[in-house]
This record gives sequence, structure tokens and C-alpha cells, in this order.
Amino acid sequence: MALPTSVGWADLPLQRFVDDARVQLAVLMQPSGQVLAQVGFKRSIDVQTVCALSAAINASGDLLGRMVDATPFRVLHHAGREKQFYLGQVPLRDGLLVLLAVFDTESSLGIVQLYLGELQSAVAAAAPPPPPADAAPALAEDFERELNRNLAQLFGRAS
Amino acid sequence: MSAFAAVIGAVTRHRGVTACLVVAEEDGIIVDGTARIGVNTAAFAALTASLYRKAGRAADSAGFGDVSFFDLEAEQGRVIAAGRNGLVVVAVADAGVNLGLLRVELLRAAATL
Repeated sequence: MALPTSVGWADLPLQRFVDDARVQLAVLMQPSGQVLAQVGFKRSIDVQTVCALSAAINASGDLLGRMVDATPFRVLHHAGREKQFYLGQVPLRDGLLVLLAVFDTESSLGIVQLYLGELQSAVAAAAPPPPPADAAPALAEDFERELNRNLAQLFGRAS
Repeated sequence: MSAFAAVIGAVTRHRGVTACLVVAEEDGIIVDGTARIGVNTAAFAALTASLYRKAGRAADSAGFGDVSFFDLEAEQGRVIAAGRNGLVVVAVADAGVNLGLLRVELLRAAATL
């Protein structure tokens, strides 16, 4: 699966989604939890935690759906008293990215779903080209290093 | 037949009405409805519920109480909504629709929600 791992390319589509859908926080990540873009977070540790939890929820929903319905659950929406979150997926090439959006009464589930469609198109258009077929595969041992690199770039601490 | 079939049927039988939806006010999700081909009902429901909700907040801020009826007039048509108990009945109509009759019908429909 040739999903992009770098940050930057999805910033504009995600910012537009946040502006249009009036959500408070949004993170676009790989299913592994590696962040690709974020809007609204002030601290990298929060993004790291949110991505890890979201990836776990996404994986649980995927597996639970396969068990009970023979197909992965693609969307999770939780409506709290004041805040709600929406965990959805953004298809890209032959894979899926994960989107977490947190919103309050300024937005709604319908609005988030509406603009998610536009985000999906914008992400597909903005994604960098897939690596050549003979490129080195993304190795599991690189995960933590890439995760930290992305967080550092997002929060302006890249070396 | 859903619990809202009678409400929707009563609204859509008016000449010039192209869609009638029952929408959850908070979520903007369609509960029931019918529309002529070409109307993006999901987008329409989400945006109209959002407008209705915000109109309600504006009315509340002005000290006017709850919104009972909402009319949005555009170049080639109009969107009319009335709500109660967290649900909104929304009608999409051509510009030439008989607004008075439709208003009465929507208020009557909202009273049954």
C-alpha cells in the first residue's frame, strides 16, 4: 500500500475542511497513527496521543465490523454533551487514511459528512505521487522515527 | 410506510414543491423524505438544518423566542422550513410556488412532529 508518509501536502485540504465544516480540531493520519496533517492542536504530544487512540479505534472498528458484518466499520461518530467526534476514512489510491474531527454545536454530523466528501476529493488531488515500484518499502522500524519527524515538522521543530 | 409519510405527502402534493425532507435539527441527517431527481438531499438537509439552527440562535439572542418558520428565497426557488421537537420539515420549491398555502401546510406538518 503506497500511502504518503510526509507532511505538508494535506495541510491546505484539511484547513479548508476545518473552515467549511466549522470543526474545532482535525487530524489526518495513516491507519498506523502516523500524522499527516493537523489543525487546531497546540501541542505535539496531544496530536501523538490522539493519533494513537484514533488508530486503535479505527483498527478495532475495522476488525469488529469484519466479525459481525463481514465488512469493516468505516465511520464512528460519538455525540457528547457539548462536543462530538467523527472518525472517518479518506480513500487514497489503494488505501485509506483516517480523519478525526472534533466539533461542537457550530457544526453537525451532516455538515461534517458533507464536507468530508470534498476533503476526499481534495486529498486525492493533493497527494504526492506514489513512490516507484522499486523503492524501498516502508519498514516497521522506521515508524517511530517518521512519526517523530512528522510531529516535529508540524510543530516547527524540524532539524 | 414511515411515521412521516403523511406529512411528506401533504407537502409534496403542492404544485412547485420539488422536495420535502424531515431532518434532525441537531445532526442535519435526513430522517425521511422524498425529492425529485437532481436534488442532493444529504447536502441540502445538512445545510438547511444548520441554517435553521443558526436562525433559531439568532432569534433567541434577539429575545424573539423559538423560530417557527423559515423562508429562504433564491433566484430560482425557495427553501421553506418549520420545526418542532428537534425535527425540521424542509420543503424545496420553485420560485412560483404558492407560498401562503405552503406555509400553512408546513406549520401544520411541524405541529405533528
